Amino acid sequence: MSLLPVFQWLAHSALGVLMQESKWAFAIVEMVHLLALALLGGAVLIVDLGLLGLGLRRQPIGHIARELTPLFASSLVVMAVSGVVLLSEEALKCYYSPAFRAKMALLLLAVLFSITLHRSVIRSSITTQVNWKRRAAAVISLLLWLGVGLAGRAIGFL
Amino acid sequence: MLFTFCQWLYDSDIGTAIRESIWIFPIIETIHVLSLALLVGTVALVDLRLLGLILKRQPVTNVTRQILPLTWCGFAVCIGSGLLLFWAEAAKMYANPAFRVKLVMLLLVGLNPLVFHTTIYRRVAAWNEDVITPFRARFAAFLSLTLWAGIVVAGRAIAYFH
Repeated sequence: MSLLPVFQWLAHSALGVLMQESKWAFAIVEMVHLLALALLGGAVLIVDLGLLGLGLRRQPIGHIARELTPLFASSLVVMAVSGVVLLSEEALKCYYSPAFRAKMALLLLAVLFSITLHRSVIRSSITTQVNWKRRAAAVISLLLWLGVGLAGRAIGFL
Repeated sequence: MLFTFCQWLYDSDIGTAIRESIWIFPIIETIHVLSLALLVGTVALVDLRLLGLILKRQPVTNVTRQILPLTWCGFAVCIGSGLLLFWAEAAKMYANPAFRVKLVMLLLVGLNPLVFHTTIYRRVAAWNEDVITPFRARFAAFLSLTLWAGIVVAGRAIAYFH
């Protein structure tokens, strides 16, 4: 089954038409997307660098992560919503863009990883000690989110 | 005078090489954008702590002392990559209104922590554990968040004025 009809529908939806006809809407929504990136990136970095023993390392990262979950979740929602709005302006271009496809695949992996293995490692991180399991979870998470960011930026270049 | 300097940078071998290469400019730009998370993301976390919105159970100095070194790393990467991008586009940047606004805001955002650290933060021991910090600390955090958001927006807008 191809997802093409979904992208076509989005491109021709009221939202898509509005975005395509407006001169400044894309720029404004893109800035919102970028601001949320700073917050999401900040939350991811603090937790993963903490797991690696950098930054917030004097307190168990499990406690820090629990306090940062609302920030992580809300900035992810803002990025997803603004992302769909951006997508509606150029849905068909994105459908055929290898960078966009890579970004979606990496995003899926990053989110899945963060709510499964990564989360269970964090939940059990109630000491400040660094071990291979915590290091591995942090490195995989950082690489996945970095990949999402790189592929996202590449949409504009490819 | 300043424009002559920008034009000279623009015409220099390195400036031309970065600008005309297919890959170098986008790579530096990607580094610049993603280091945003390290610089602005960590600044925002400290500011949100000062506002009492996140990490409420952590003493303020616990957050600042451990996070600010990461912020400085982000700052170094952002400034380094930003200077290279400027090198390549200096003559165009000179007249770009978004770029001018961004520079002014960068200057202001530098003054803010200078004032903060020499005044209210000196007495941090008195409010270190407070969820809601003193008004002047919250005001500094609010200014910082606003200015950094403005810098991100102005930075992105540079490309729209090209």
